[in-house]
Amino acid sequence: MLVPGILFYALFRYLPMGGLVIAFKDYNFYDGILSSPWAGLKYFEILFQSKATLQIIWNTLQLSVLSLVFGFPAPILIAIALNEVRKSWLKRWIQTIIYLPHFLSWVIIAGLVLTLFSIDGGTINKLLAQWDMEPIPFLYRSDSWIAIFVGSGLWKEMGFGAIIYLAALSAIDPSLYESAGLDGAGKLRQIWHITLPGLRPTIILLLILGMGRLMEVGFDQVYNLQNPTVLEKAEVISTYVYKVGLQQAQFSLTTAMGLFESLVGLILVLSANALARKFDQGLF
Amino acid sequence: MRESRGERLFSYLIHAGLILIALTCILPFLHLIALSVSEGQAVDLGRVWLWPVGLDFTAYRYFFENTPALRAFNNSVVITLVGTALSMLVTVLTAYPLSKRYLYARKPITLAALFTMLFSGGMIPTYLVMNNLQLTNTFWSLWFVGLVSTYNMLIMKSYFENIPSEVIESAQMDGCGEVRLLGRIVLPLSMPMLATLTLFYGVGYWNMFMNVILYINRTDLQNLPVIVQSMLQMQSMANMNAMDMVQQQELISEKLKAVGVMVMVVPMLVVYPFLQKYFVKGIMLGSIKG
Repeated sequence: MLVPGILFYALFRYLPMGGLVIAFKDYNFYDGILSSPWAGLKYFEILFQSKATLQIIWNTLQLSVLSLVFGFPAPILIAIALNEVRKSWLKRWIQTIIYLPHFLSWVIIAGLVLTLFSIDGGTINKLLAQWDMEPIPFLYRSDSWIAIFVGSGLWKEMGFGAIIYLAALSAIDPSLYESAGLDGAGKLRQIWHITLPGLRPTIILLLILGMGRLMEVGFDQVYNLQNPTVLEKAEVISTYVYKVGLQQAQFSLTTAMGLFESLVGLILVLSANALARKFDQGLF
Repeated sequence: MRESRGERLFSYLIHAGLILIALTCILPFLHLIALSVSEGQAVDLGRVWLWPVGLDFTAYRYFFENTPALRAFNNSVVITLVGTALSMLVTVLTAYPLSKRYLYARKPITLAALFTMLFSGGMIPTYLVMNNLQLTNTFWSLWFVGLVSTYNMLIMKSYFENIPSEVIESAQMDGCGEVRLLGRIVLPLSMPMLATLTLFYGVGYWNMFMNVILYINRTDLQNLPVIVQSMLQMQSMANMNAMDMVQQQELISEKLKAVGVMVMVVPMLVVYPFLQKYFVKGIMLGSIKG
């Protein structure tokens, strides 16, 4: 029964890992993977010495750290807030609505962003024009583009991300809240001393998993939101690998970049897990 | 318990904040719907907000008749239906054996699957494998590359493991074989989880973007997200000469973009309410036990 599954993993997950060797070779189509000449660490040297590639790695880190810093607390806050809503019909409606963006493709969300923020014809700029103000090139300035990038990521995932926290919240013993209330603890105190500690295992687990994906700024989001003007700050590893690797056939160089990205991710997860172990909360 | 003034304020703030957030999720779509069915003039002049100004559905007709959209839509449907079926099938075939405690190689295989969540070959090597198997420009490349989501598989395995063993044992005592056990007992008991994962896979295939760009070059085989995306980036249409000026002005515009986005969203919006109750339960179960 396991045969199809094993075939899949072997062929489409592990075989490509073998292909990673081309990061150490001068890959070309004729010789294929096995016969291409070895190049040692040449491509890694190019990677770390070229200003362009270093900038790209920096962009990737910048975007993903910002997304993590703003995007990690948001679902937690939403779950805690939702937990305080008494009327269950309101709670259900709000949940239904905020879960929705998670299911949308980035094509749709980028379409929305363009409709709202584009310089000619965008809704916000039309509004500004009606108030006799200058249009603002939201999508063409690095700072506002980054803000829109992080914000749209937040918008998409914060609702859905709250589900796991809501599940964990429902597992907290309600009598803890009652007794705290009887002892005179206000709402905020209760949240700080009961809710948050109750969420601790879940938070740490998700934080570990999140750290592992630090280098992995999603292709879809960046590709759909970027434009040539902000490319200096908006090019990340995944989009660069696509453009230069696939479209310009520089396989070895971009594989080296991809390998670097995956390795860093792996190291980060293992370190985050080791750190969490110290607090008795390891994932494995 | 009586609430203090501070607590009431806190409660109002919370409710207001949540409602605000929910609004940011709805309003953009109302705006898009309005844009897509309003008169072109009104759209250009910026007079359309949350409600259509004049009704004009020609953009939708144009969208389906004069762009690759219709074929892309069909492609998306095929990709999604077949892909979801295949993925669910193989995921079940993988998760079920792994949920049996007596399976010999259980731990190493599970670890091997888990490892792929932490480390992967990357874009280029995976592409090379597809290329060597001559699967580029076929739907098979999409179905194979996304066949099993390890995350989903682990959720499924965890769910199977939590089915009370008494049920399984009593069936086995009645002489039930493995396959029948799976089909007649385990799967029917797992409906919420199966519905949830079907939804996840379905959405994944419907929205698939990067893989399509990577593996499929022929425009007649591409799916809806890719086609709509190229429309969003386009400033002008190639076949403008066939239309008169009025049509041109109207259609290279915010309107067409809005139409493209709406066409992608609507199937989602239609299916979503039905499945929402399933997946919330499914995730809660999965996360508590996982």
